[in-house]
Amino acid sequence: MTTVITKMITRICLPLVVLFSISLLLAGHNNPGGGFIGGVMFASIIALSYVVYGLETIKSSFSPDWGKWFGFGLVLAAFTAFAALPFGHNFFRSAVEFLHIPLIGEIELVSAALFDTGVYFVVIGSLLSIFQMVGEDK
Amino acid sequence: MDPFISVTLAVFLPFLLALAVPAVEKLIKHRIGWFASFIALISFLLVISLVPLVIHGEHFQASVEWIPSMGIEYSIYVDGLSILFGIIITGIGIIIMSYSNGYMGLKEDLPRYYQWLLLFMGSMLGMVFAANTIMLFIFWELTSITSFMLIGYWRNKPESVYGATKSLLVTAAGGLFMLAGFIVLRSITGTFDIPAILQNETLIQTVQGHKLFLAALILIFIGAASKSAQGPFYIWLPNAMEAPTPVSAFLHSATMVKAGIYLVARVHPIFSGTEAWFILVSGTGIITMLVAGFLAFRQIDIKALLAYSTISQLAYIMTMYGYTTYQEPGIGVAAATFHLLNHATFKACLFLVAGIVAHEAATRDITRLGGLRHEMPITFIIATIGALSMAGVPPLNGFLSKEMFYESSIEMGHALGSPFTFIIPALAVAGGVFTFAYSIKFIAAIFLGKRPEKGLPSHIHDPSFVMIIPAAFLAGLIILFGLVPSIAVQNLVEPTASSIMMEAQHLHVKLWHGLTGSLVMTLITFLLGIAVYTRYDSIAEWQNSFNRKYPFISINYIYDGLVNNAKGTLKRFSSFMQPGPVKGYVLALLVLMIILFAIPFLKLSTGFIQTLNFNVEPYEFLVFFFMIVAAVGAAVLPKYLPAVISLSALGYLVSLLFIYLSAPDLALTQVLVETLSTIIFLLAIVKIPQTFKEHITPSLFTRDALIAVSVASVVFILLVNATQGIIPPFESLSYYFIEKAWPLAGGHNIVNVIIVDFRGYDTLGEISVMCLAALGVYNLIHSRGESE
Repeated sequence: MTTVITKMITRICLPLVVLFSISLLLAGHNNPGGGFIGGVMFASIIALSYVVYGLETIKSSFSPDWGKWFGFGLVLAAFTAFAALPFGHNFFRSAVEFLHIPLIGEIELVSAALFDTGVYFVVIGSLLSIFQMVGEDK
Repeated sequence: MDPFISVTLAVFLPFLLALAVPAVEKLIKHRIGWFASFIALISFLLVISLVPLVIHGEHFQASVEWIPSMGIEYSIYVDGLSILFGIIITGIGIIIMSYSNGYMGLKEDLPRYYQWLLLFMGSMLGMVFAANTIMLFIFWELTSITSFMLIGYWRNKPESVYGATKSLLVTAAGGLFMLAGFIVLRSITGTFDIPAILQNETLIQTVQGHKLFLAALILIFIGAASKSAQGPFYIWLPNAMEAPTPVSAFLHSATMVKAGIYLVARVHPIFSGTEAWFILVSGTGIITMLVAGFLAFRQIDIKALLAYSTISQLAYIMTMYGYTTYQEPGIGVAAATFHLLNHATFKACLFLVAGIVAHEAATRDITRLGGLRHEMPITFIIATIGALSMAGVPPLNGFLSKEMFYESSIEMGHALGSPFTFIIPALAVAGGVFTFAYSIKFIAAIFLGKRPEKGLPSHIHDPSFVMIIPAAFLAGLIILFGLVPSIAVQNLVEPTASSIMMEAQHLHVKLWHGLTGSLVMTLITFLLGIAVYTRYDSIAEWQNSFNRKYPFISINYIYDGLVNNAKGTLKRFSSFMQPGPVKGYVLALLVLMIILFAIPFLKLSTGFIQTLNFNVEPYEFLVFFFMIVAAVGAAVLPKYLPAVISLSALGYLVSLLFIYLSAPDLALTQVLVETLSTIIFLLAIVKIPQTFKEHITPSLFTRDALIAVSVASVVFILLVNATQGIIPPFESLSYYFIEKAWPLAGGHNIVNVIIVDFRGYDTLGEISVMCLAALGVYNLIHSRGESE
């Protein structure tokens, strides 16, 4: 599993996959994609690099606390669910707004996208923290 | 300020600021207790600001919709009763949190302690201001949970854990009975709103004449009795004394145990005036008063003694609420309310004294204490004031409300007629005699007599002012309310009694009101009390020997039996349900699935599809062929690695199929999940043997093959029927989503819109489950290391 070929491929793929996962997250509302898929994609490439390079090697240079990621995601998602309440709307009411920006064109802002970002972080955080814990377990 | 905002702030500030406690603790270290007292002070001022609103018996209500379809609202109700409780909760809260600064050692986990205290205070306030029964129930159970956490504060002590569990089991279960009672009440009245019932004379009459009246009354009263440690439910309170003493003073004498009393007072107009009300409330009250007062004698822990006395004193209050059926109702209610306030002052004061003694003398055992009056003179004076007030000695506040209790007992006796004219006052005096005797014992055992030769630290002294001042303040209130009762009566008791009775009440409380029947009863109580006190130790000894001889005549015996039995049964049940190997679980699931799916199809004997319409392209055949090969490979390959790769090949082929069926989201998800699970397999595979070790016998093979084939056929039949079968066609839900996704949620990807918008609440639940799964894995991995 730790041949030069896999190492090389992982190295090349890593930034591309991370970018693609973010684009999946952002595109999700209108095109195939979304927080869950994006999150799983992000998690798989990190997991792959753990397997290929070894957990310790990766952790020496890049070691976020994945537990915080899913905590943050859950808080973000719950926050968007409650955010409509102070404005007199129902729980989980979503809002859509269109912005016209010169040169770029029209951008759609959806409150549900914020919720989806929460999902994204929860998926990444929980998958990778499980992965890391199982990997570190002797 | 708008009363609605005041109440909401008073309730939720403690909740919100409790979250900030760990951060603030980083800044101000062990002075965090003062921060907590400050929060309590804010809530106190907010509650005080509402007093003018209700001083003449008025009330105020406001609400915000929560679940309108079910009539559940965030709805507050401010009246004399809720204000009285609000003042007791926040006032005693300030005193307790300040006192804790001296009591709790610096090495304790202070943020956790103050967080739970604040959460408790917020829940308790929420409960007394709730107008909606469901909201009341939620805060009610929150007080049970916070009480559980505070009793179990020293989590390494088995006694704390036992006491905490017991209190949670009894009070939370009681709360469920109460909820059932509320639902019955709703089915009678059609509303969850308490004031709506209180203010509607005809509705109250409907309730009292309804055939479910008794059910509602008994269910709600079980809730009240379990919380206030009345009747058989008293057992949790003595064990709750394992909590830190300030907690006992706050929760288990002044506030939480009074929640049951609050509930009885709150529903008083609905249920009172009936025979059932008198028998249930006063009956339970009188029995509890006598039994708990009597059982206090054998307690050697000063806090346990106070716990039994709390039970007994609460029973006085209960009894008076029950009396209202057969007398001019205002008197009993006012007397009960006054005693409630007085009890909060003198009992909290005595608990603080108990805390001081335990803190300085390092023991709470009355057989090892004694003669401390010289070393702790200030504490001695404060304790004497508190204990004499509890015993009902003039001119302290306990005397006044005890007199009122006697007075209403005499009236009660007259109303019921012979032989109760004598029996009820006699029972009341008996309760008073027990109270008098153990009150004297409390003083005598700690402060009087000779100092024991050994067992006590050599230097004992009055504690620092941090602990003395709160106790002294309460002692001051005891004297103040005794000498000038009108302060408390006019500002707190009359508005409360008026709000309970739903009409203005006026009360004349004086220290000297002539040689009345109640004064005679008080004198008899003192004489008999002294007589009983001289026999105190022999009574305690008799109780101990009785308990040794008949250990099974005790409610604790039944409780322990039930709980231990339940533990054993659950252990057997879980070892049956969770034998270990994953294969067993999968087997059980699949068999159940076969049964559940097969039954409806066997019933629909109209036959299966006659003509199957398969439009299969040649390349699809190719995909299916490879899928079969991969599936067979996963099943028969002898080593893990090839089998896993074969399995993932199957997964990728399925996603290929999804693309043909134009479901790009599904295909994408399938590919990613397949990739991730393959990586996880690869990670795990290096740690386990490379080959399957299970030996497959022919019979095992037959069984597994049979199950596999059945599952396959069931799924096949299901799919065929779902797509083109005998199930009558119905309008597909997808049209709704296709139509509404863009106008309602502004999204073109319907799958995603469903996940994050239409079914957003489900998704929130699912991601919570994911987080829980991660935490579960953490616990599994870390706890395994410990147990080995």
